[in-house]
Amino acid sequence: MSDLLSVDHITKVFGGVRAVDDCSLSVAEGTITALIGPNGSGKTTLFNMITGYLPADSGRVAFAGRDVTGSDPGRLYRAGLSRTFQQARVFPQLSVLENLVIAAGYRWSQLFTRRVAASDRARADDLLEEFRLAPVADLLAAELSYGQRKLLEFAAVLMSSPRLVLLDEPTAGVNPVMIETMERHIRSRHRSGITFLIVEHDMTFVMRLCDPVIVLDSGREIFSGKPTDVQSNPLVLDAYLGA
Amino acid sequence: MNRAGLARGGVFFALLVALPFTGLAHWQLNLLIFVLMFATMSSGWNLVGGFAGYPSLGHAAFFGIGAYSMGLIFQGHTLGSGYEPFFLLPVVGLIGALIGWPIALISMRTRADVFAIVTITFLFVVQTLAFNLHSVTGGSQGLALPTPPFAEVHFEWPYYYTLVILLAVVMLITYGTIRSKLGLSLVAVRADEDKARGIGVRVNGVKVLAFAVSVGITAMVGGVWAYYETFIYPQFAVDPLITIAIVLMTFLGGRATLWGPVLGAIILEGGQQTLAYNLGGSQFYLVAYALIFLVIMLLLPRGILPTLQDKLRMKGRARRVDATGGTGSVATAVRPGAVASTQGSGA
Amino acid sequence: MHALIQGVILGVLTGGVYALMASGQTLIFGIMKVVNLAQGAMVILGAYLAYQLFTSLGLDPFLAIPITTIAMFCLGVVVQLVFLRPLRRDDKAELSLLVTFAVALLIEGSLSLTWKTTYRSINTSYANSSWTILGYQVTEVRFWAFVLSLVALGLLFLLLNRTRFGRAVRATVQNPDSARLLGVDSDMVSALGFGLGAATAAAAGSVYGLLYPFFPGSHYDLISRLLSIVVLGGLGSVGGAVIAGVIVSTSSAVVASTVSPAWSEMTFFVILLLVLLIRPQGLFGTVGRGAL
Repeated sequence: MSDLLSVDHITKVFGGVRAVDDCSLSVAEGTITALIGPNGSGKTTLFNMITGYLPADSGRVAFAGRDVTGSDPGRLYRAGLSRTFQQARVFPQLSVLENLVIAAGYRWSQLFTRRVAASDRARADDLLEEFRLAPVADLLAAELSYGQRKLLEFAAVLMSSPRLVLLDEPTAGVNPVMIETMERHIRSRHRSGITFLIVEHDMTFVMRLCDPVIVLDSGREIFSGKPTDVQSNPLVLDAYLGA
Repeated sequence: MNRAGLARGGVFFALLVALPFTGLAHWQLNLLIFVLMFATMSSGWNLVGGFAGYPSLGHAAFFGIGAYSMGLIFQGHTLGSGYEPFFLLPVVGLIGALIGWPIALISMRTRADVFAIVTITFLFVVQTLAFNLHSVTGGSQGLALPTPPFAEVHFEWPYYYTLVILLAVVMLITYGTIRSKLGLSLVAVRADEDKARGIGVRVNGVKVLAFAVSVGITAMVGGVWAYYETFIYPQFAVDPLITIAIVLMTFLGGRATLWGPVLGAIILEGGQQTLAYNLGGSQFYLVAYALIFLVIMLLLPRGILPTLQDKLRMKGRARRVDATGGTGSVATAVRPGAVASTQGSGA
Repeated sequence: MHALIQGVILGVLTGGVYALMASGQTLIFGIMKVVNLAQGAMVILGAYLAYQLFTSLGLDPFLAIPITTIAMFCLGVVVQLVFLRPLRRDDKAELSLLVTFAVALLIEGSLSLTWKTTYRSINTSYANSSWTILGYQVTEVRFWAFVLSLVALGLLFLLLNRTRFGRAVRATVQNPDSARLLGVDSDMVSALGFGLGAATAAAAGSVYGLLYPFFPGSHYDLISRLLSIVVLGGLGSVGGAVIAGVIVSTSSAVVASTVSPAWSEMTFFVILLLVLLIRPQGLFGTVGRGAL
């Protein structure tokens, strides 16, 4: 298995605070990798730099063997790297169906095709079916529950047939049934060949689903390995329980 | 939109085409010409200010650029049939769009408020240039165009019908935008640009395109205006009040809707002429206009059409809930109304 | 060379006044994220107030400043409470631009009604005296205007850095949400902040009236300069606005004295575009972490 994503000595400083500090890590193709760490350890900042939302102060990011440091988020998305946000971000004024369609078909010429083109519609229908969102397809996204919105955001990034999906706390703020649903969808998509990198606080969820686990503390990687080894690692215990 | 919408458009334009034949007086046609100008410009502004959510405050500059372009193209020419200026309108529009393109490219990279700052600054720069570049614009002396050779009786007709065509074009563009993926992209940009960028939407492309088309249309109206007035004074050609008027009309009627800007233009340009007529001096007029603006912003920030749509939707919802004995699931009760109120169907 | 240095002297002295006007505007943006398009009109209003006090009471414009600042402070508070506070949060940025634009027109219209649209100027006894130093002319009034601007900016600095109100303002600028959690009354800070912005406009207005003839429409020229300055300095950064005020004013004075006054207006816009190209956040602005 080769590395689909590798982060090389990346740093981000916010007004004197080293949010991400000379951090290096890699995600192997075909894994569901977890990225955990205490609050403020730099997980989201790292996500933002990987996906092109924040420029890194130094260091490099490579995706699928190509250097993508400083790439635009849209380009990365089109290249097969997509993400969700901690607070599910969907377009509230668009319908559920449109929220899916907007995430697909980004060639210039497609701008002048129908709002919901037949080919997009077919793909979207499959996803709506898969995520059991078909009954609410014509509702505005604003009218969905928070859990449904998270599901919708996840479904939407799949419209582009990504190779790597970064999920930022997929289970935060949703009910236990929805957590299981989320887990099922991740597994099934993983089987069909998508690699995942997941930031998550729910440790039982991580233990069930992810391998390997990367632990971040104060902006750098302090552990990477099997989930079973995480809890016994002294560095990790130190980071979580406080020095 | 559907068959009813097409019928509405058909009736509206048939009415516009027929109006001059009802024997309107010159001042009435003159009023209509100004209503059409503002309806066209507001619809144009709506593409970038309404759909993309980037409030341009510099459109008056492009009105002026269009006017001066037209004036400069016809310097020292004599007119044959008098229709040449109308055929050259696309060129005027292109000039406006080409000037707008780099400005949008630079100023839209950041936030909407910086964009507004750049556009309003551009407006004042163009205004100053219009006054100071005597060799080109004639400064405050103004710039004369050749006198059109149209017969007195039907003098307004060519301008009127040209503007009807321009309005039809911009409304078709708007309609096409709403119905296409371009419109979907613009709604996404307006709602959450960062997110849109992250799911591959051509954020920069659609914004700049919307701006270029929008200012191109504005420049064309400026061209028609210059030929209609046959004399360009800088204080009228590059007037911040034009910006304010078209923004206000769009807000009053309803942003990001097809008919909102047109409705706003009909109400306000009509009202404006009345105000100007009754209040005489332009100073009361400025105060009155500013007050109307403030009242609309505070009481009806979403505009007439969206507010009406919401009312209808709530009524529809209530009726449906009643029909199911008040126990119908929320989802089914909300659905039809919800769909009708998406940005896309906009009136 | 002589023209160049004369331009620099003129630019730096005038820059102080612009810095004062712009500091109020950038402060308002910092606190409320509102781009106040009425700032120029408020300066002109300040100039008219000083003019009226001078012509009817013979009060020197410099001495009128305490009176006009207090009056304009109240006006600023009213504008914030009546027109800006009711705006809904989700499209506040967009609507506030239009609302402040309308306020600018309202002020312009009211000025025209009260004082007509002809040019006015405040002709004090010292209006035309000047010193000649090493062959360069420095008009007296411009010098005192510069000094006054420095004093006003110094007071503003003390207010922001040495008082409880200043702390609340700075907390709000940095992070409105946490400031609210820490018990800062954001409505209060916004109202006082807008009042303060208007007060700086009043002080600058007195000075502006001494330096230039003005009419109700003068605010259009002013606002485009002010906006270029606050963007160059970094929206929300008071220190940035001061430095940018001097830079912009100096470069346009130099262009005016060496090239042509007609193009000096253009200087603002070119600087603005260059800044946006090279450093979109301005000289001293921070790259916001945006909506992330």
